[in-house]
Amino acid sequence: MSEERQNKKNSGVKELVLARLNVMPPNYKLSVGNRGTFTKDELIEHVKKGDETGSQIVNMQMNFIRALTSGKLIETLNQ
Amino acid sequence: MPRYDDGTEYLSYYASLVSKKAEELNIEKKDFEGKEVTVGNVSKFIKKKNPNLIFVNGHGDANYLEGDKGEILFSTDKNIALLRDKIVYARACHAGLTFGKKMVENNDGCFIGYSTPFSFWIDERRSAVPAKDKTAALFLEPSNEIMFSLLKGNTTSVANEKSKKKMTDNMNKVLKMQDKKEPGAMGWLDILWNNFEGQVIHGNSGASF
Repeated sequence: MSEERQNKKNSGVKELVLARLNVMPPNYKLSVGNRGTFTKDELIEHVKKGDETGSQIVNMQMNFIRALTSGKLIETLNQ
Repeated sequence: MPRYDDGTEYLSYYASLVSKKAEELNIEKKDFEGKEVTVGNVSKFIKKKNPNLIFVNGHGDANYLEGDKGEILFSTDKNIALLRDKIVYARACHAGLTFGKKMVENNDGCFIGYSTPFSFWIDERRSAVPAKDKTAALFLEPSNEIMFSLLKGNTTSVANEKSKKKMTDNMNKVLKMQDKKEPGAMGWLDILWNNFEGQVIHGNSGASF
């Protein structure tokens, strides 16, 4: 994949993750393993910055989206 | 049971439920809490008492498990041999990637833990009293099931399966909430899935306490 296409893809992924975080109610905080506990706004900030915490959040969301689109999630839930 | 931030406060509360269950079942146990969770204290206890089952509740990484304020309790390059032939459940991030595999090499031990970050949502309106936070319970009760099941004498394999069944039950519950437009439900499902997929068992799946 060319660098330009990869950048576009990464940017699209980030937008998707940000859209999903934006719909979270403000009273929820996420405890992300070693990284700490974050409010919705802090999660959004980390994703926008693209730092290690942000990358971790993106990876977790993408892992879920892959399971959803591949049918793996539904298959697991129907077992 | 280290407790020094929001996440570890919740983990500590849920670990206390495991401790109570052990008491109910008249199982001899030793709890290390807060500043007591040091490599010195824990290692000394293991060498002296040789416990069969160890529950580590805190932070971790691919090669180590942490105690209070980031002190490394067990690591692949230092004292992993202390855990030889033991059953370990580590409610900590990433230790399933390398640490758990190394722990069970050439022995009859079993490691249950996570190859991903162990994560959970907290409802800030309930965070002063973790017991009242039904959102956090969706993530933390299935993980406690591993210890409850082991304490009852089930094999490590059964304990792992029972925990995963609770996670899929909770994912189905969340899907129904989502149908009813419960705010935040989709975000909860993401995290439940990551914990489900990341929960791993290495070594002797027939081991029991």
